[in-house]
Amino acid sequence: MNNLSVLLLFLGMALVTYVPRMLPFVLIDKMRFSPRAERFLRLIPYTAMAALIFPGVLSVDAARPWIGLLGGAAAAVLGLRKRSAIVCVLAAIAVVFLLQLI
Amino acid sequence: MTEKKRELLLDGVRAGLPIMLGYVPIGIAYAVMARQAGLTVGQTCLMSITVYAGASQMMAAGMLADHGAFLAIVLATFVLNLRHIIMSTCVIHRMEPTSLPLRLLAAFGVTDESFALFTTGTGKSRSVFFFLGIHAAIYLSWNLGTLLGALAMDLLPPILTASLGISLYAMFISILMPDLPGNGKLALLVLLTALCNTLLCRVMASSWALIVSTLLCAFVGSFFVELKEESYE
Repeated sequence: MNNLSVLLLFLGMALVTYVPRMLPFVLIDKMRFSPRAERFLRLIPYTAMAALIFPGVLSVDAARPWIGLLGGAAAAVLGLRKRSAIVCVLAAIAVVFLLQLI
Repeated sequence: MTEKKRELLLDGVRAGLPIMLGYVPIGIAYAVMARQAGLTVGQTCLMSITVYAGASQMMAAGMLADHGAFLAIVLATFVLNLRHIIMSTCVIHRMEPTSLPLRLLAAFGVTDESFALFTTGTGKSRSVFFFLGIHAAIYLSWNLGTLLGALAMDLLPPILTASLGISLYAMFISILMPDLPGNGKLALLVLLTALCNTLLCRVMASSWALIVSTLLCAFVGSFFVELKEESYE
């Protein structure tokens, strides 16, 4: 990948990550949100995660979508039991690894 | 630096230790994804140093592998990180009055984890130095994990790296799941978003579909989903 365009990508990502972190630290009391706006902002991680998972998880093994689905299911079961992220990730990798051997 | 400030910094580092253990493996997972997407070792590490946002970086690696447009990647990062506005607001309201340069430095360290540690009962101090100590610990472990993963990538057998594609999704699923059982409306919204994005992906590039369905569904959800009040101010 072109080095300069990758650097520009990182610069853009760093800016849009830092600014939302920094604004409240500078404005302090001048920033207030209506309950609706706050709810909207707090819901974004949930909807973003949902959209990041589907339909992408089906293409882990593009020819066999059920492999990604089962790997995700393993993470979901462990997640429901409040296991840590790393346990879920390792379990999902193990499931996909084994299924790909079939 | 006075004795007191150094003491607070070290307290913060100690408070951040449990998080460090979790961050190194996730940093490794991100780095492996980034290398698979075609980034060099240096580029993979540079993203962790400059951007410093786990979920966004994993998403960016996935989108790069998908040949997503750079503009779409930046916009999606922005959308995913909008939530930091709420977290930063809570952190700064808990923090003792602090000079602007120190505030600008501390703002870089606002993550889901440092926010949770500083604003909940676990964190005893309201000092900016305590927060900076937490930040230093987490930042160091994130970049250490990135470096390890970026270097180890070449040593892993291909069948194993092929299975690592699931790690991004497993990571997101593990963040999402624990909150759903107690909140039926939230679970409904998550299902709705998954469906919406699957449909939109048929009519537009997946990177744009992600942005549209995230914003649209969060907007729709703000009418009917209730979230626990918990630590937000």
